[in-house]
Amino acid sequence: MDKKSFILKLQNDLELETEINETSILKDLDEWDSMTEMVLIGLVNEEFSVRLNHDDIEKISTVDSLIEIIGFDKFD
Amino acid sequence: MGAIIRNIEYVFPDQKITNENLLEAFPDYDFDKFEEKVGIKNRYWVTENETALDLAVKACLKLFTKIDSKEIDFILYCTQSPEYFLPTTACVLQNKLDLRKDIGALDFNLGCSGYPYGLSIAKGLINTGQVKNVLLVTAETYSKYLHPNDRSNRAIFGDAATATLISFSEKEYFGDFLFGTDGSGYDKLIVKNGCSRNAYDFNAEEKVYGTNNTYTDNNLYMNGPEVFNFTSEVIPEFTKEVLLKNNKSIDDIHQFVLHQANSFMLNFIRKRLKIEEDKFYRNLSDGGNTVSSTIPIALKNYSQLNNFDEQDVIIVGFGVGLSWSGGLITIKNKL
Repeated sequence: MDKKSFILKLQNDLELETEINETSILKDLDEWDSMTEMVLIGLVNEEFSVRLNHDDIEKISTVDSLIEIIGFDKFD
Repeated sequence: MGAIIRNIEYVFPDQKITNENLLEAFPDYDFDKFEEKVGIKNRYWVTENETALDLAVKACLKLFTKIDSKEIDFILYCTQSPEYFLPTTACVLQNKLDLRKDIGALDFNLGCSGYPYGLSIAKGLINTGQVKNVLLVTAETYSKYLHPNDRSNRAIFGDAATATLISFSEKEYFGDFLFGTDGSGYDKLIVKNGCSRNAYDFNAEEKVYGTNNTYTDNNLYMNGPEVFNFTSEVIPEFTKEVLLKNNKSIDDIHQFVLHQANSFMLNFIRKRLKIEEDKFYRNLSDGGNTVSSTIPIALKNYSQLNNFDEQDVIIVGFGVGLSWSGGLITIKNKL
């Protein structure tokens, strides 16, 4: 998956109303809560076979930081 | 020779807590989204002086309107909300229900994996000719362990008790069961204080986790992301192993009844297993996650709502421990 499609998928699956880009801080979004975390864990697990653990979730700030946690090598 | 589930009954406490009630306490939370994702509309909590045993007695008395209580040869009591440190709650239950004295009674401490465990033990007791009728009770009041400001867990967990009668049968209605344990995850879902390792702490520090949930070590703590990861990694494969052990494929099974933990997670597992929605039970809107009681409640409701003679059902429980278990049962008529 390329970065652009991933961001689009985040936008849709997390049901975000405001448009996001690489520098958007996910936890500042109005929609961010424990259910968003759960959906994100499911999405990343399904798409990349990567498990986001408690510490990973703590570390997430921007969309780019999430991509780094998932691993740059997983993106086209 | 074999065993069969003859009846299941369940009770919720009288105190119903709707999402609207919770919204009053947590006005900033999106409970519509919660209802859509997690699938819970309301849960029931005991009042201060009501215990899991009180619920268990009610569930058993409901069962005894259909069967003779004097038939019971053994009580299996699944709880993590025992009446006392000691004695065994199952012994107290024997007396409260005025059951025979020449019967066995034991508690076992398991959460969401407890029901398949209980069925498997009942099957073992019956198929080895030791007893004819086993009363399997699940009773839990996690609400007592929750911090008043732990929004996430207050929204998810509900109290309940169930009573199942498993009896000797000329024909076998039980398939094989499998189990799994990973104690390295013991602290992913835990009440730390108040038992042997750590005393109850009257000055326990308040901690914040996840999205503004508060708890202390006297309360129940759940590491949601880790529990989700455990479930998504272990349970789909385990469900396949249960099928394999019973020489069945997904197509052979009428219904998959997994522990009703949370609707989103159940759907995630369902998609992994590629099971159609109508064969995968998902309903926790009334009652929420009632720990070891979700599977018997689901079995009861499923059998009441559908007309059939016999159906093969796979049940799988998973959670606190970490612990998981599952097996094949054939259910007959309305339970």
